[in-house]
Amino acid sequence: MSQSINDYWYPVGLLSGIDASRGTLLLGVDITVGRTGGAFWVKDAAGNALPTVKRFGHLWTCPGTPSGDLFTIPEADTPGRQLVDVGSVRVKCSPLRAVENFLNIAHFPFVHTDILGAEPHTEVERYNVDIREEVNEVWATKVKFFQPQAAKSAEGGITTEYMYRVASPTCAVLYKTCPPRPGEWDVITLFVQPLNEEWCEVWPWMALYDDDSTMAEMVSFQQLIFMQDRSILENQIPTKLPLDPGMEAPTQADLTSVAYRRWLKKIGYFYGAQLVAA
Amino acid sequence: MGVGIDGGFMDWVAVGLCADVPVRTVVPRRVMNTGLAIWCSTAGVFHAWGDRCPHRGMRLSHGFVRGETLSCIYHGWTYDRDGACVSIPAHPDLVPPKSICAAHYDCKVEGETIWVALQLTQAPVPDLGARRAIRSLDVALSAETVAAKLDQPLTSVITIGGLHDIALAIQPGTDTDCLLHAFAAPDQDRKAVSQALEYLRNELEAAE
Repeated sequence: MSQSINDYWYPVGLLSGIDASRGTLLLGVDITVGRTGGAFWVKDAAGNALPTVKRFGHLWTCPGTPSGDLFTIPEADTPGRQLVDVGSVRVKCSPLRAVENFLNIAHFPFVHTDILGAEPHTEVERYNVDIREEVNEVWATKVKFFQPQAAKSAEGGITTEYMYRVASPTCAVLYKTCPPRPGEWDVITLFVQPLNEEWCEVWPWMALYDDDSTMAEMVSFQQLIFMQDRSILENQIPTKLPLDPGMEAPTQADLTSVAYRRWLKKIGYFYGAQLVAA
Repeated sequence: MGVGIDGGFMDWVAVGLCADVPVRTVVPRRVMNTGLAIWCSTAGVFHAWGDRCPHRGMRLSHGFVRGETLSCIYHGWTYDRDGACVSIPAHPDLVPPKSICAAHYDCKVEGETIWVALQLTQAPVPDLGARRAIRSLDVALSAETVAAKLDQPLTSVITIGGLHDIALAIQPGTDTDCLLHAFAAPDQDRKAVSQALEYLRNELEAAE
């Protein structure tokens, strides 16, 4: 069932941000992304058109033969949500390290201090993780964590519940308790464009219920969070994600990351991974 | 066995002056290919560890010091003076397995300077006599080139002597840089010595 890294869909730009054309990298190869009139396109270095999909506010492409449609997020389509184009952040790290960090909650009190977490509320209780064979995705559910300010719309500390979904090797979706609408989930995504194995363009995107914050406020909140993550991601050794179990020391709080690494091995996705101890 | 490098050998390597690592701080240092986290505990004890948390590979030099422990900034994993993990905040009731520990190296303070042995050694820390620490200088040359230009074998400390009785502890870096930690006779004016060191650096870096 191993599929080439070229056969997955990757984000390459914000629909709202593409005008004329610009060069970028995908999987270490030059591509050009652009818009002619109302039509978005992506071309390889030889000028051949690559397949495209417009979804979640972004333009997506596949440098090989798409093995299927790009995943969907039905929850994000419910009416009344603010769709937030956060923009992009370039990070000198493996695309897989960026995704793994997004799946992790234990760092909140130390990296996003007094925003997404605070001492002494550091405990991560047991949650559920599974690799869903039928959809070929990794899911973590019943993840709970105390947060001083879970979202721009949150007043004071609350225990937030999360679900994490790895929908493709470089894309993850977070479903999170929605402060103004109990019972609904806010959707926060991390779409990663692998520029090469040790450099990526990260495109966060959100579909939130928030009637009070301005678009600028929601964007800057998420950018602040990601800047804090970047200070971690650019200082991990090795730069690539180690898949050799002996290289790093996970605990129960890291079950999502353990499942993600196992899944990457299972599907044979090794771009940005380190297979043996250096 | 110490650090063997082309044209020289050193058991102890100076990685900085004590004044550059105040109490309750941690800084990154590098000796050739080895990244180090040098930290000073609340009680004033210096430590030299490998700059990598065993959990998720984060640099420990970005961490924080509390009491006699160093914690990783990523998930707060806390290590005691021997480098053993003593706390994993995500699991407050868990006693961390003994196998989780940060790489740690012998570290000593002598002559207001922090010395590290990257490999076990019986050798004493270099004796600088009555000299006192003046400052550290970065030089855009390899340690080997600096020693060769000074016409000396590459050892932990190269004595220059002269008016100020200067001695240089060498911290090898890459093929194109190293650090010199400089010492001078106690009666010498710091500013004058510092100026002499600038001249020395310019001479060293000047084209052949």
